[in-house]
Amino acid sequence: MNTHTIDTGAPVVPADAYDTATFYADADSIATVTNTTASDTVALPSPDAATAELLAAVKEAGRRAVPGPFAETALVARPLLHRAHLPVPDGPLSYAIAPELTVRYAHPAASAVGSAGCSGEDNTLLVTGALRRVPWARAATAVVVLATAPFGPVLFTLTPDQAALTPGANLAGEPRDDLHLAALEIPASHVRRISPELLDEARLRAALARSALIAGAAERCVDLTVAHTTARTQFGRPLSRFQAVKQEEARLIEEAALVRAAVQAAAVPLDTGGTAAYFAIAAAKTQASASAAEIARIAHQLHGAIGITQLNPLHLATTRLWSWRDEDGDETYWAPRLARPLTATTLWPTLTTTP
Amino acid sequence: MSPSTLSPIAFPDVALPESARRLRTEVRAFLDEEHARGTVLGRPDSWLAGWDPDFSRRLAERGWVGMALPTEYGGAGRGFLERYVVIEELLAAGAPVSAHWVSDRQAGPSILQHGTEEQRRFFLPRIAAGQCFFSIGMSEKNSGSDLASVATRAERTADGWRLTGTKMWTGGAHVNDYAIVLARTDEAEDKHAGLSQFVVDLRAPGVRIEPIHLMSGEHRFNAVHLEGVDVPDGMLLGRPGDGWKQVTGELAFERSGPERYLSTFPLLASLLRELEQRPATAEQLTQVGILTARLHSIRRLSLGVAAALDAGASPDIQAALVKDLGTRLEGTLTDTVRSILPTPADPHATPGTHPELLAFAQLHSPGYTLRGGTNEILRGIITRGLEQHR
Ligand SMILES: Cc1cc2nc3c(=O)[nH]c(=O)nc-3n(C[C@H](O)[C@H](O)[C@H](O)COP(=O)(O)OP(=O)(O)OC[C@H]3O[C@@H](n4cnc5c(N)ncnc54)[C@H](O)[C@@H]3O)c2cc1C
Repeated sequence: MNTHTIDTGAPVVPADAYDTATFYADADSIATVTNTTASDTVALPSPDAATAELLAAVKEAGRRAVPGPFAETALVARPLLHRAHLPVPDGPLSYAIAPELTVRYAHPAASAVGSAGCSGEDNTLLVTGALRRVPWARAATAVVVLATAPFGPVLFTLTPDQAALTPGANLAGEPRDDLHLAALEIPASHVRRISPELLDEARLRAALARSALIAGAAERCVDLTVAHTTARTQFGRPLSRFQAVKQEEARLIEEAALVRAAVQAAAVPLDTGGTAAYFAIAAAKTQASASAAEIARIAHQLHGAIGITQLNPLHLATTRLWSWRDEDGDETYWAPRLARPLTATTLWPTLTTTP
Repeated sequence: MSPSTLSPIAFPDVALPESARRLRTEVRAFLDEEHARGTVLGRPDSWLAGWDPDFSRRLAERGWVGMALPTEYGGAGRGFLERYVVIEELLAAGAPVSAHWVSDRQAGPSILQHGTEEQRRFFLPRIAAGQCFFSIGMSEKNSGSDLASVATRAERTADGWRLTGTKMWTGGAHVNDYAIVLARTDEAEDKHAGLSQFVVDLRAPGVRIEPIHLMSGEHRFNAVHLEGVDVPDGMLLGRPGDGWKQVTGELAFERSGPERYLSTFPLLASLLRELEQRPATAEQLTQVGILTARLHSIRRLSLGVAAALDAGASPDIQAALVKDLGTRLEGTLTDTVRSILPTPADPHATPGTHPELLAFAQLHSPGYTLRGGTNEILRGIITRGLEQHR
């Protein structure tokens, strides 16, 4: 396969090869990408890194279009496993939030109320249904699944080979695979009953991870566009000398800075949790998703024809923007949730909660 | 891979100091009192249009005018972030802050930085007491964006300067005490050289103030004719020839504050009040959420600039960026509020009702992206800045 090196120093397939499952089926190569510490790559931060550091690393992964479940591993799967007191496996991880899954306890004892007045201890599950468009499923060593069991939410892990995998991809060619589970037994050691709050946290983490990736891809659009308009000459001048170009380019820069600020502002609230976290992250994903169109539009417009080809890396950023804005809740998912609790009197106090 | 092109304009993420949080509570209590008095009316653009010198004085009694000025000059010696908290609370509430606005934001800091000791001792305590109000006398008929082309001249006299020319769009000149006037003191080759700043007493002989009415009929700004006005030496601000440097040195302060994105915030609050009367649709909530997310994100950027200023940096590019984003939002907010809850704007409706506030915000809207440097000029600063950093 025609692999070459773009930016990360890691092998990256050109976009036309993105849907060839073979490359991504090789879990080891993804692990190499995501765990490498070579100077021109993004190192996967240690699992106990501070949230701000994780966010910065995920944004950088988005900027470099790192081909692997970097954000999914660092900001979603690992912290969730940690919070659920499950061991954190090495290698790339993914997640699926799937309340629609049919989940039963495998052993009658688990569902019965025991003599001590609580349910039995055997958490072995039988799971049926489909996990849709799981990011990088084929390359993950484990997938963290959040679902609803008879006594409330559960978190469990499975490996992709336990499921029937239908490969799929997003606009950027990133794997988005369906996993079909037919009465799959998940051993109790891989299952934890979790609080509804952790289920909410999973949604927020996924949305924030995606927002940070968007912030990174937006920065890449700025990098490439500013470089292009300074280097490309028409009418005897660099494009950047034209007022019309400046005006558009500045809007692009501003929109990217705006998304970055929204993501950055969610770091502290994510750790403290509660309504402040909900507000900050819902705002971050709303803003990131809502800004994606304008960022991609301007970057492409100022690149001219070369930007829509594989001769130029712009598509690595813009196709991701167009996909990521929809994933983990688009702006029409988050914005009304953000707005619903607001009243004329709570609006300002909410905006000024943090700090 | 090379570092991000955006990295030179990194915005620090800000955590406000505990003192600022306490201050916010105090300001809210004060605003509640003023609300009960009927002075705080939740009006848009209150830093341009809310002129109430008594309110300014009561604010000054709390130490909230000129609050970042040193205590030896009558200020409160508070930090820039604390001032930020006070003014954002005032603007969000639509409080009438226009009387002291320019003295607090510009004249005070400028006199502190460039003024003589005598000027500081005279002006700063009066500014901090809410007893001395300033206007900005920069623009002229033929000098808008191209400010360095100003034609107002200051000629040397035996004991000072004689100013001749006409300043345009001078906000509040008809009610304020002084204006800081940018004038040419030397016909230098380079138009940026040879400019100087003067403090001009707006009641001095030779100053003729002619009203200019806004399309709403309001009288907010003026043509200020300087017909051979004698200005003593002691009223030259800074050094002769340094006017351009002094004017541009303050831009980050003027461009990144909460007044650059909150001018129409009271209209959003008014919309939510209206929406509480009926069940909101999903589409309405979505639009409110999108506006709120943008407001929140811009506020974080603006706070980042405030923190950088507090740390002594001069984040000019960031400030231009915040002002373009923020002032565009002020207009978008007005348009979006109108589409969320279609309401005919009515300037004659009862003051403070939604249709009246909408009319007010609409009539003021073209100004948001013009005043203090147009958005087109700001965008030029941003692109040039990033290209130079590459
Ligand atoms: C509400 C309000 C209050 C004001 N208060 C004051 C005040 O108190 N004191 C004071 O001194 N001034 C004040 N001003 C004036 C303000 O500073 C000027 O309006 C502003 O600098 C723009 O100048 P101008 O209006 O002459 O427009 P122009 O400079 O003539 O610009 C007209 C249009 O051309 C565009 N343009 C101009 N040059 C360029 C360029 N190089 N590249 C791209 N586009 C360009 C502008 O962006 C704008 O869209 C106020 C203005 C407003 C609207």
